[in-house]
This record gives sequence, structure tokens and C-alpha cells, in this order.
Amino acid sequence: MSSKIKITINNKEIEVKKDSFLLDALRELKIPVPTLCDHKDLTPTGSCRFCLVEIESRGKKKCVTSCNYPVRNEIVVHTNSDRIKKHRKMLAEMYLGRYPNVKVIKEIAMVCGVTESRFKSEITDENPNACVLCGHCVRACHEFTQEDILDFAGRGINRHMTMPFGEVDRHCIGCTSCAHVCPTGAIEIIDDLNHPNDPDMIKNGGMEINAEMATLDKDQCRMREVGTANIVDVMNAYDLLPVRNYRFGCDDETPNIGSKTLKAKYITQKVNDACWKGCSMACAKAVDNFLLRTGPYAGDRVLVDGPEYETAAGAANMGCFDSDFLMEYNFYCDTYGVDTISFATTMAFVMESFEAGQITVKHTGGMELNFGAIDESLELLHQMSRGEGFGKEVGNGIRWLQNKWIKEYGADEKFLMDIGMQVKGLEVSEYVSKESIAQQAGYAMANKGPQHDEAWLIFMDMVNNELPTDEAKAEALYYFPMWRTWFGLHGLCKLPWNDVVPTSNKDEKNTAKVLGHVRNYFRLFEGMTGKTLDEKGMLAQSERVYNLQRVMNILLGFGERKDDIMPYRGVGPVTVVEYESRKERYDTNLKEVIGIDPEGKSIEEKMKIIREYRENAYSNLMDVVYRRKGWTKNGTPTPEHLKKLGIDLPEILKIVEERISTEK
Amino acid sequence: MIIVNGRNKLEWVEGMTVQDVMDKMGYDYSLITVTVNNEIVSEDEYDSYKVADASDVKAIHLCHGG
Ligand code: SF4
Ligand code: SF4
Ligand code: FES
Repeated sequence: MSSKIKITINNKEIEVKKDSFLLDALRELKIPVPTLCDHKDLTPTGSCRFCLVEIESRGKKKCVTSCNYPVRNEIVVHTNSDRIKKHRKMLAEMYLGRYPNVKVIKEIAMVCGVTESRFKSEITDENPNACVLCGHCVRACHEFTQEDILDFAGRGINRHMTMPFGEVDRHCIGCTSCAHVCPTGAIEIIDDLNHPNDPDMIKNGGMEINAEMATLDKDQCRMREVGTANIVDVMNAYDLLPVRNYRFGCDDETPNIGSKTLKAKYITQKVNDACWKGCSMACAKAVDNFLLRTGPYAGDRVLVDGPEYETAAGAANMGCFDSDFLMEYNFYCDTYGVDTISFATTMAFVMESFEAGQITVKHTGGMELNFGAIDESLELLHQMSRGEGFGKEVGNGIRWLQNKWIKEYGADEKFLMDIGMQVKGLEVSEYVSKESIAQQAGYAMANKGPQHDEAWLIFMDMVNNELPTDEAKAEALYYFPMWRTWFGLHGLCKLPWNDVVPTSNKDEKNTAKVLGHVRNYFRLFEGMTGKTLDEKGMLAQSERVYNLQRVMNILLGFGERKDDIMPYRGVGPVTVVEYESRKERYDTNLKEVIGIDPEGKSIEEKMKIIREYRENAYSNLMDVVYRRKGWTKNGTPTPEHLKKLGIDLPEILKIVEERISTEK
Repeated sequence: MIIVNGRNKLEWVEGMTVQDVMDKMGYDYSLITVTVNNEIVSEDEYDSYKVADASDVKAIHLCHGG
């Protein structure tokens, strides 16, 4: 909710947003006002007092610093009254008296009509790069990188900018933000980085992101505040959070593990961890003094690194909506070196199999493994780490369990293959893909296994309806995996690409690509290597590696069409309860998309029709995607395509040619 | 009747604002670009911008995370 307020400036009327700063309105009207301590990307402090204006509010006249004066009611503003002119002149003389050779001070003084100062004294600093105490550097260090290395010390004429105890602080990460925003050149960064080709190009790009994090993140993804855990709330709201082995997409108990709870009850550290010291996004969070209940460290207070979205969503997938459990399983997975996604997704499979009677206490070492079995899940995790009991078996993952249970226990093969959320032997990450065929392909066609980090297309496809045709989907399933591969190729983090979005992105043709940031990454590449890069060049770099990965898949036995298919749980309702829980959606789907009247049909019949339709649609999409990628219908890169990419080495050609000779 | 994201039909009511559309659709995500008949509507206009009947409303959610 925002409301507008009418104000009058130098007899001109203007409407401004309530609580916006007065200086912004002055700038909009192109009314010149001198400023020194104001900076477009930093919180205004009102310390230099150059931007002073006179206002009349509710019959009272007063002078305010316009840079940090929030407009809250109808006011009349004068920027050029005698009183203001006099004030500015005096101030300019004082600054000029102290810093006679600093360029910005001379310029501001000129604007105020001052070229000479009466106030030269023993504190006059002749240095042209003198520090003028504007405070940009202090705020940049705090707001851009959250490092807080710099501050002011001393009072009155002794006030000066410094690091703690006047020494060079070894915690300074050398991010250069302070030097970048300093208007006088008072800060010199002496460093010997990696000898990039063009350090300024890299710095400028980096500063753009720093500024966006400082100004936009709090209203966008709140990465600094809660990290990726903010996604738990979003996915729950859009029915995309995996609940009880991906059967459902939301739950009334989600707030127990949502970002509000995590922030209020646990997160104590909101700084970057060893991931990348000085990262201005700082999505990593940590929990101090968490008291463990189980396992080898029971009774100890420990630091938990996290939790991230996937870990929290994994708790929902196991039906364990308990934040203490979340912390404990997060801690022990990290400690044992177990991936939280694989653990949670495998446990969700085990729990559903147990509840469906596919396995019993006979097979689980006596454990009742219903959804929400908190103590049992932790015990299995400890067993896993010790290489004992049922926990050891669970540690082999879903594919191994499916094989064993089908072969040795005579379990229902079709059911276990439908509900076991693994592709190519890797467990699926924590998003419900049922209503997005593009996401199903994003998962199942990913070379490394069903990780969403190749193509997260749920919103584009399911919510935005931006990919209406197979061709549009195939294009997205080509572009995004290549772009994501490119991050991996250069060891760059993906989050600054689209977990903060520049305001100008609204005007881009293709908003999903966040092209402003893509260009920023290209500049980073050029600044480092000296080589220019564009979309075509990026795609070429990635496609070579991507196709080599595919050849690797073929070698390892996971590179065929049959390996690129999602288990049906990720496609549509496997069980009656799933259908019933979203009956309206599926009935509408039948009627409007498939063109069949659901009236009078049993749920089983309706499920069968939907399944046939969706599996068919997926198969058609696969054909189009393979074609777009330059692969055969069985998902093998063609020799011609490899040649085009310049990776038609004899040993690679041999692998694909052998495979192709067995196809059709 | 208005169409949201080219697919969802919403009953139009007199005086309907962009914010009403967002509420009806349950869209409370933080990275959404809204257009009404191809014109961008900024977030602070959501509650004042009136959506005419038969409008084509797009609420494009940008992905993040992952
Ligand atoms: S280089 Fe970065 S971390 Fe160091 S003082 Fe400057 S802004 Fe702070
Ligand atoms: S060092 Fe530069 S940025 Fe920092 S207070 Fe002094 S003039 Fe301002
Ligand atoms: S610019 Fe407003 S007080 Fe410095």
C-alpha cells in the first residue's frame, strides 16, 4: 500500500510517494541542490548539510536536510531562499577552508557561489585527496558487504575515518567498495588480486550487484535476512512444496519450518560463510548454540550451518514439520557428509512404502517408519553413518532399495517405480513438478540427474504460461541448462543472476533471462580474461561441455531416452488420495485440456486418462527437445552436431556412432 | 471476464484493481512483473490501477532460488 502526497516546491506542485525522500522530488523536478554525503545506493545520513532546504509544514517554517527528509504530509518547500543561500555559502567556505584542494569540494563551493574561503587555519588539509568525512565508505562497507570494517573515530576537528584501533584490519576482504564510492580518492586499495585483464570492469560490475543487494533485496527475496529459506513460504503458497513424498504441495504445518520461525527461533548469523567471503548477497545463515538431542554429540551445543531451502523442504517431504528436527538432521547430514536432499527424498520414499505395506517392521529393523517419524529418521541417519542396520540400506538410495525390495521382498514393482523419486539413480530435489511438464523435463533430462539447477521452469510454465508450445518449452530447455552449465564452467555462483533482479528488468523483452545480469556476467568474464563474450559465445562454451557430459552418461549407462523420464509421482497423481486432494484441478484439466467430461467417471478411470495424456505429451516434448539439442530420438548427440561444436574427437565419435548403430 | 496469464479466467467486477486480481489469484510472490494489456503496472499502482473488463492481465513470476 502506498499513497501519494502533493507538495509544492518553489511554487511548482508535484505528487510524491509517501515516505520518499524530499531530495528525490527535487531531482525529479531538476532543481539543483548541492550534495556531498548523499549517494544513490546508500542510506542517506544527512551529515554534510549541503542539501538543506526550507520547508513550511502545518504552518511552521524550518530547515531540513532534504536527502534524508521523508515526505509524510503536504509541505511547501523553498530551495533558494535567502536563508538557505546564506547557509550554503557559509558551509562551502568552511569546507573549502579545510579542504582547499579537493576537487569535489571546489565544485560544490562553486555551485554555492564560493571560490575563496575566509577560514584557513591549522586544520587546513592541502591534500587534494583528503578525506572529507562524507561517510560513503563507512556505509558501503556496512551496506554493500556487511563487513563493518570502517567507522569514524574522534570528535569535532579530530573526527576521522579509520579501521578498528587505527590498524589495518585483517578482516577487511579487499572488496574495494569503500574506494569505489569515495568521492575524493582518499582510499587507495593496494592489492595484488589475480591479475585480471581489466580490474575496473570487474569492479564496476560487482558494485552494481552490491548496490542492488543493499537497496533491492529487502523487498525482493530477502536473501540477506533469511537466505534461501524464504522459498519455503513461497513454494507452500503456490502448492509446490513437496509434502509426504511429493504427494501434496502444501501443508497447514509449513509455518513450523518456514522462514519466520527459522528467523525468530534460530538464525543468529547472517553473514557470508566460507562460500565466498565478502559476498554481498550472503545467503548463507548459521544457527549458534543449538542443543543436540541424539547421536554421538547428544547434549552438546553446536553451530548449524544452514538451513537452506532444500533442507527445510526435505523435512516437509518426510512429513516432519518440526523445526528442532530440521536443525538436527541438517547438522548431522553435514557432519556425516550426507546430502540432505538425497536423505530426505529417500526417507520420504521409505515412509510411503512403509505406510503402503510394501515393507514392514521386519525389514526396517523393527522401526515404525510412518511419515513424521522424527526419532526414527534421526536414528537411521546415525545408523547410516556407522554403516549398520536398515540405515545402511537406506544410505544406498532409492534405486538400490527399489531393486532389493522388488527382487527380494516381492514388492509391487509398478508402485515402487512410480513413487520412488529418482532419475538416473539420483534423488529428485525438493519441488513438486506435477503441473509443469517443462519442469518434469528440466529434472528428468538433466545430465547429472534430477537437480533443478539445470532448468527451473515451474513459474515460467505453470504460473506464467510463457511456454505454451513444445517449441517454446524446448527452447527454454535448451537455453537455461546451457546458461546454468556456464556458471559451473567458470566456478561462478548462480544466485546473483536472478535472486536479485534489477528494476530495469521489467522493460526487458525476456524477463526470465534477467539479461541485465547476464550482461554483467559477460563483463566479468571479459574483465578477467580480456575476451569479449556474448550469448552465442556463452552457448558455444557450454554446449561443448554439455555434450561431453551426455557422452559420459552414455558410457556410464544413463544416456538414453528411457533414462530421461520422470517417475510418475512427479508427473501426476499416483494414488487416489492425491487425486482427491486436488480434485477440482484434475477435473478441470480433464475437461479443458484433455477434452473429456469427468462426470460419471471413477477416480481410477480419470487417473488413467490423465496418465496416458501426460505421458504422451511428455514423450512428444522429448522429441522436440532432443531435436533442439542436436540429438537423436534416443537422446544421443549426432556426429554432425559434435562436429559443429568442434568436439568430434575420434574416441567420442566412436561412442556415439556405436550407440546410434543400435538405435531404431 | 478478464484473462490472467493467457489462461486463467477471472470474473470482472466494477472497480477491480490490479491488487484485487493478485489477491484473487493468490499471487503474493515478491518478484512479479504485472502488465495490463501490455502496459507495465508498477507495484505502487497495484491498488489504484483499475482493470477494465476483458483486459489481458499478465503477472509474470520470475524464478529465484535453486
Ligand atoms: S575493502 Fe571492503 S571490506 Fe575492506 S574496508 Fe573497504 S568496503 Fe570494507
Ligand atoms: S574516505 Fe572517502 S568515502 Fe570515506 S569518509 Fe573520507 S571522503 Fe568519504
Ligand atoms: S547530502 Fe544531505 S546532508 Fe549531505
